[in-house]
Order: sequence, then C-alpha cells, then structure tokens
Amino acid sequence: METEVWRLPISATQRGKLISAGYTSLSSLSSVSTSLLARDLNITDSEAIEILRVVSGKNSVDGGHAIVKGGQSAWDMLHEEESMRRITTSCAELDNILGGGISCREVTEIGGVPGIGKTQLGIQLAVNVQIPPHCGGLEGKAIYIDTEGSFMVERVLQIAEAYIEDMAEYHRFLYKDSRASPVETQGKDILESIYYFRVCSYTEQIALINFLDKFVSEHKDVKLVIIDSVTFHFRQDFDDLALRTRVLSSMALKLMQLAKKFSLAVVLLNQVTTKYTEGSFQLSLALGDSWSHSCTNRVILYWNGNERYAYIDKSPSLRSASAPFSVTGRGIRNSDSSCKRSKLMHSSE
Amino acid sequence: MKPETLLLPTEKCTLGCPVMDRCLGGGIPCKSITEIVAESGSGKTQLCLQLSLSAQLPPSHGGLSASSLFLHTEFPFPSRRLHQLSVSFQSLHRQALNNNNPSDNIFVQSVHSADQLLDIMPKIESFLANSRTQLPVRLIVIDSVAALFRSEFENTPGDLKRRSSIFFAISAKLKALARSFDLAVVVTNQVVDFVGSGEGVNGVRVGNLGSLYSSGRRVCPALGLAWANCINSRVFLSREETVNSYAGRGEDGYVYMQTRRRLCVVFAPHLPYSSCEFVIRRDGVFGVEPQVQEDHGSSR
Repeated sequence: METEVWRLPISATQRGKLISAGYTSLSSLSSVSTSLLARDLNITDSEAIEILRVVSGKNSVDGGHAIVKGGQSAWDMLHEEESMRRITTSCAELDNILGGGISCREVTEIGGVPGIGKTQLGIQLAVNVQIPPHCGGLEGKAIYIDTEGSFMVERVLQIAEAYIEDMAEYHRFLYKDSRASPVETQGKDILESIYYFRVCSYTEQIALINFLDKFVSEHKDVKLVIIDSVTFHFRQDFDDLALRTRVLSSMALKLMQLAKKFSLAVVLLNQVTTKYTEGSFQLSLALGDSWSHSCTNRVILYWNGNERYAYIDKSPSLRSASAPFSVTGRGIRNSDSSCKRSKLMHSSE
Repeated sequence: MKPETLLLPTEKCTLGCPVMDRCLGGGIPCKSITEIVAESGSGKTQLCLQLSLSAQLPPSHGGLSASSLFLHTEFPFPSRRLHQLSVSFQSLHRQALNNNNPSDNIFVQSVHSADQLLDIMPKIESFLANSRTQLPVRLIVIDSVAALFRSEFENTPGDLKRRSSIFFAISAKLKALARSFDLAVVVTNQVVDFVGSGEGVNGVRVGNLGSLYSSGRRVCPALGLAWANCINSRVFLSREETVNSYAGRGEDGYVYMQTRRRLCVVFAPHLPYSSCEFVIRRDGVFGVEPQVQEDHGSSR
C-alpha cells in the first residue's frame, strides 16, 4: 500500500525520499534499522530515528488506546490532527499559511468581494481533492453545491486540463524512471468526479444539506463539500432574523458533523457586505455575528493594490497571516510577484 | 436529489459580432446573469437590442434559435432603433432566418418599479412555460435594472437593507428561471460618479479593474456591493471623447471629436480580463479588431 507512507505526519521531503527509496508501506519500515534507513535515504541518523519513532507510534495508535469506546485522549487527538489530510490550493504561499491546505474534518469559510476568485478557488479545490495518493493527494471526489449559478463547466475543464498536465509532470519528477503515469486521466474523468448540485432556494439548500449524510454514506469517496455560496439565498425574504439565525446555525452544525463523521473537508464560500456600525459603513462577511462562530476556520480574500491576497481571519490552530495568490488561466497559482521576488533573489546571488 | 451531469457545455448567445464574442468567450452564457454597466449614451440599449435579434439565429450561427423578452424600465422603448437594426440584421442573415420579421420575435414589456417586477415574475414564468411563440423564449433583457431603484429608496440603513433584500429576491428568481428554461439573462446598470478616495465604493475594489473611467470621469456601477453579489458576470462599456488626430482642427475651425468606446470584462467566473474597442454604426454595434500597431494614442 503506497498510501500508508503518505499518512505519516512527516515532512514532504522525507516522504518523497522514503518513496523513491522504495519504502512505501509501514511494514517495510517496521524491521529496518536506523543506520540502514539513514543510508538508504541519505539523511542523518537522528532524522531516521525520528521517522522510525513516528512509524512505531503510528502502529500503536492503529492498535487503539481509547479507554472508552468513542473516547479519545488528547494525545490521540493531537496525532489525528497531525496526520489530518489536507487539500492543496495549488498556491504554495496560500498552502503555507493554511498549514498545508484546506483541512479535512473541519469547516472552512472563505469570503471576499465579487470577482476576487472565490468560485475559482472552489473549482480548484474540487479538482485538487482528486490528486492521487502517490502524488500526495486524497484521491477523493467533491460535492459542489452551486447556489449562484457561477459554476461554468468550460472553466472547470480548463482547470482540470492544467491539473492533468501538472500531475503528469510531477509524476515524472517523482519517479525519475520512464514508468508512465499509471492511468491516463482525462478532463472528462475529473468532471465526473465532481457531484454538482444546483440549488435555487434556501429550502432546497437546507433539504440538500440534510440529505448529504445519506449521499456521502453511499459515496464514501467524497472528501470535499463546497457550497458556493452559502449566503446567496439567505439574503432575501428573511424578515425574521432570529429564524434565519436558527436555520443557519442548524445548517452549520450538520455540516460540522458531516466533516467529522466522514473526515471530509467542508468549504463554505461567503459574500462580503457593508455593515452599518456607529454611523459608518464597514466591510464584513455576510450573515452576521452569530454565523461567524459557525466555522472552524475563516479566510478572507481581498485586493492589495493589483494583487489578490488571502488572510487567515480566524482559526484555532493557525496563526493569522496573509499571503498573495493569483488567478490564472490554469487556475489558482502562486502570485506573480512572489515568483518575481524569488527570481530576483536568485539573480542577486 | 441527484447530482447533475457536467458533461454538457454551457450554451452561449452571440452578440452579433465575432470580435465582441471572442472577448466574452463566445457570447452571453445561458443559465446565468450578465450585467452590462455603462453611463448613458454608451450603447447598452443598442447592444441589448442587437442581442435580442442575434438570439434568433440558429446555433450554427452562434444564436439560440430563440425569441426574447425585453423588459424596459426607461421610456420610451426605442422601437425606431430596433426597426433600423432589424432591417440590417435581416439583410445580413437572410439565409439563416426564415422570412419572418425579426421584430416579431421580441416581446416587450414595460416595468415601472422593483415591486412590479417581482409581481410579474409568475406571469413571466407561465409565459416561458406555455409559450405559444414560434421560437421558444431563451433570452431575458432588463434595461435597466438601476432605473427601478432610482427614486423609491432613501440612503438610510433601513432602506438600504430593504433594497438589498429585493435585489437578492429578483436575482434568485431570475436565476431560477434561467436554470429551468436554459435562458441567457442580461441586465443593464447605470454608473454613478465616484466620490472619495481609494478604490471603489467605500474603498472596495470589485473585479479586474482598480477603477473605471468613462467620459474622463471616475465612475462606479450603481446599486453598490449588494447588487454586485447578485450577478454572475459584469461587463463595462466606457466611452472617451478624443480629438481626431487625422482630421485635427478642420479648415472650418471646428475640432473634430471622435468617441472611442471600449468593452471590458470586469468579472466573470469563466473569463479572464479582456477588452476590445467597439463602434456604434447605423447597422449595429461592432467590435474593432485590435491593430498590431497602435496608430494613435490609445486610451489605455
């Protein structure tokens, strides 16, 4: 099983070295000595000890320590968090501030003004969740719930085709031999792994979210649920704001449970609104204050001059930071200026 | 509930000009709302009229083989201009159309207020569903949506809230119709002069362009941020008066002015930033092929 090594909470370089040296399964690591591993991987002994410590820890966790069935110790939880799978955004700096990407088992809210790239990021994630395990991905499927009608198939196809090219190249880089990529993926296959639902009212939206539990039980390979946007249908016809708050919080709760139960990532896209406070208009994410407690992580996308930036507004585990990103023909990518910066640094060396 | 198949491409409706179509990735997409925003006299209405005609073309010519519903909120409806355009349209596409008068396939309805628009939505729906028209209706134009909100609402927090709730109600209804009847929906919007500093309204930048200019003034789309959340794509038409450098100052002492018009994609889920210059002629609105060598000072 190649996937086993990918589950280890070790750095990507170490993982890459393990795989290229042929250590793909946990059992292949269980009997190897420290010095042998260090030599095979061309790393220091202490690094090898560290890897083996993680491997043995992993084995014992698999055996299960829980005192009460269903209960977890904080140590187990920490371990679980470390090995938590993430979905890359295809922008290194954005991944960096997100701690590796959008995390599974959590609800992440992403908000920003129209045209900043929320839908683009949503589509990119729906494609990236399909990255095969030998390239460090989840090989999952995505559910895309479109409430606004901005999901354009031609755009998804563009991003999917760029993704296929990138994966082929990464594969060649990872296994320097001539071994061809195991299966020829096509844009069509990527589209077929996205379950698309178009929702035209808030009642439909609530009904669909209630139905997701059943749908995901039948489609266990779903690793990502995107709602683009969670807001749209809740900004009309709600004279009773208390009712809106109740409906929204029960929806958020369901999504949170879904994320935990099936260890999948939930991404909610939100709009920006002007809020009237103390005599002036200020920008904030829509749906009000009580909603802002509903998500585990909150990311705000904004313009900084001519550049797009993302900012971690709220997260229990990430520090608040911001990073530039860009929207290109191929999808979400590193920002142009950060490429320029690194080029400049190289040329000045 | 079942997921939908994604293997069908989104249909597009031609604007009646290959240059502008290329700029918009093939035309106006079905199943979503496209906004055309511009100051008055920039060609919004003319572009909408031309679109209503082009929609009648068969898919082989980039159209939808469809008739259209034109909701106008500004008076009077420009029937004379429509007639003019339809005559040249008919002579241009004689083979593609069967010999009907193209104006017969454009249904016109006047709307006076936002509430009235919401009230007639069920009527529109039944018109679309039991259409006894020769061609099915697959294009709705609202020209302009801004005029519906011009007078009734005060600039107070309460009224703004009520106003944005109506925006979302209108948009949701239009999107639902667009989806069930596979419609292209086009709305036009006006601009307001930009007051203040920074980017956009209240310092908010929306879309590709940090700032929009038309007739030498800095402008921003009317109806604010809430409305911008209600549309899928936004296209901006700008105009700039420039002195015609060829004619220069004529012998009669007059300065010859030339209007340079430009169409820009402000935001769209399926398009990168792109723009093209266009002209308005007697026979319609046409994009200008970008010249390899810019001969005289471009307005970029």
